[in-house]
Amino acid sequence: MTTKNIFFRLLVIFFLCLAACSKTPDINNETMLDGDQIFDPSLYNPAKYLVSVGIPNPGAVQKNTPVIIAVHGYSATTFEWEEFRTYCNAKANVLISQVLLGGHGLTYEDFKSSTWENWQEPIMNEYNALLAKGYTNINFAGSSTACPLVMDLIKKGIIGDNGMKHIFMVDPIVIPSDKLLTLIGLVGPMLGYLESTMTVAEEGRYYHFRPQETLKQLLNLTEKTRKDLQEGYNVPSGIRLKVYKSIKDPTADAVSAVLIYKGLKHSDGSNIDVEMIESDLHVVTRLDGRDNITQHDRDNQAHVFDDMYRILIQ
Amino acid sequence: MKKKLVLTILFITTVLCFQAQYSHAKSRQSGELKGGIRIQKAQKLYWENGFSFDFKSPKIFDNRLHLGASYVTTRLGSALGTNAIKQDNFLVSGGYHFRPKMQFQPFARLNAGYFHADYEYAIFDVLPNSAVLLSLDAGLSYEFEIPLTLCLSAGYNLNSGSGSSGPGTLYPVFYQMSIFYTLLKKR
Repeated sequence: MTTKNIFFRLLVIFFLCLAACSKTPDINNETMLDGDQIFDPSLYNPAKYLVSVGIPNPGAVQKNTPVIIAVHGYSATTFEWEEFRTYCNAKANVLISQVLLGGHGLTYEDFKSSTWENWQEPIMNEYNALLAKGYTNINFAGSSTACPLVMDLIKKGIIGDNGMKHIFMVDPIVIPSDKLLTLIGLVGPMLGYLESTMTVAEEGRYYHFRPQETLKQLLNLTEKTRKDLQEGYNVPSGIRLKVYKSIKDPTADAVSAVLIYKGLKHSDGSNIDVEMIESDLHVVTRLDGRDNITQHDRDNQAHVFDDMYRILIQ
Repeated sequence: MKKKLVLTILFITTVLCFQAQYSHAKSRQSGELKGGIRIQKAQKLYWENGFSFDFKSPKIFDNRLHLGASYVTTRLGSALGTNAIKQDNFLVSGGYHFRPKMQFQPFARLNAGYFHADYEYAIFDVLPNSAVLLSLDAGLSYEFEIPLTLCLSAGYNLNSGSGSSGPGTLYPVFYQMSIFYTLLKKR
C-alpha cells in the first residue's frame, strides 16, 4: 500500500513537471520586445545601422576610416550600443555598424528557437561585407555575450589576419554571476523561462522573458569559451585586444576577465590589455534606460568611449 | 579575520582528529583511520583533486559519525598544464553514516573550510579570491572486504560566488569520488 502511495506521488510530481514544461509567458504585445508588434529598428532601416548597407560604394577616404562593428549581448538589441553611435556621430571620423544578433529583436518564439551559432552569423556577415567593399580598418566592440561569440570566431580562425585592427570587449561573459545558471539543464524544462526585471525604458529593447532553451545555449557558449581559454590561443597578428570589466558585475562575473587574460594572448605572446572598472553595472557603456545612474557611472562610460576612440584613431 | 577564524577551526579539528586517534591507539580503544584520494568535479567548471582522511570510532555515535579532513585543488586537476585558475579547498567535515555495520552505507555530511583562488596578476587584486566554505553533500559509501572504501556523493556549496561578492569560480554544485585505504584500525 505504501509503495503504491509513493508511486502515485511520484506520478503526480512527474505530471506537474510536464505541465510546467508547457508553460508559456504572459507577453504584452504592446510593450514587450517578446511580442509580435515591437521589433528591433535595425530590421526596418538596415542602412542606418550597417555601414555595409548604408555606404554600399565607399570612396578611398571612407575605406580607410575606422569602422567599428558594435554588437550587443544576450537578450538585448542594437539599443545597447546606441549611446556609442551618438558618440561616434559627434566625432565624425569613425563609422559604426550596429549588428543585431541572430534570433534577437524579433518575437519570443524566434528567440526561443535560436542557437548561439545563429546569434553569431550576423557578425560575420557584416565583417565579410565590409571586407568585400574594401574597408581596411575594421574593428570590433562587443558587450557581454558578443565577446564569447567573437572569441569563438578567433579560435576557429574565421577572423584572421585580414583587416581587423582592434577588438574591444565590455563586460565579457565567460563565468556567469548567477551560478544557478549551471543548473538550467535540470530545472529549465520545469521552469520554461526566466522573467527579468527591467525599467519601463528597457521594455521593448530587451527580452522580458528568457526561454530556458536560450539560457542553455548561453551556457553552452560560455562553457565552450572557458574550455578554449583553458587550452589557450592567440589573437591573429595585427589585432590588439582590450577588455573593460566591471568589478561587481551582477551578470558576467568579473573573474571572466581573469580567464580571458590568462587564456588569450596577442600574436606575439604578449598579454592583452585589461582595465578593471569600479562599477556594479553590467555593460558599463550602456546607461540609457537605467534607473539611479550616478555621475560615477557617467564618468565610467565617458572614460571607456574616450579610450576606445583614442585607440581607434591613433 | 575570516581567514584566521577558518584556519583556527581547521587546525583545532585536525588536532582533535589526530588526538582522538592517538588516544584510542594508546588506550587500546577502537577506531579506524582511512586516507585516500578525492576526485571532485564542480558542475560546469573545474576538476579539483586531492587527498582526504576519514576517522570513525564505536565511541563516537557507534561508528555513525565520521570526522574528516580533506584538501582538493585544481592544481591536481583542471589547472594541471592549462590556464585554469589555481584554486584550493581546505575542508573539515562531519558525516552521519546510516547502516554503519553494513558494507553499503548511505551518508550525509556537513563540510566547512576555506577556499582560495590564485589570480596570479596584480591587476586582479581588486577581486575577491577567498571565502569560507560551507557545504552539504550526501551519497553512498561501500566498504570492500579488502581495506578499501569507495565513497560517491553530490553536494551543494551554500556560499558560491555571486558576481558582487565571493570568488567567481566557487560554484554551487559538485560531485565527488573518494577512495580510501584503511591506515589504522584498532579493535
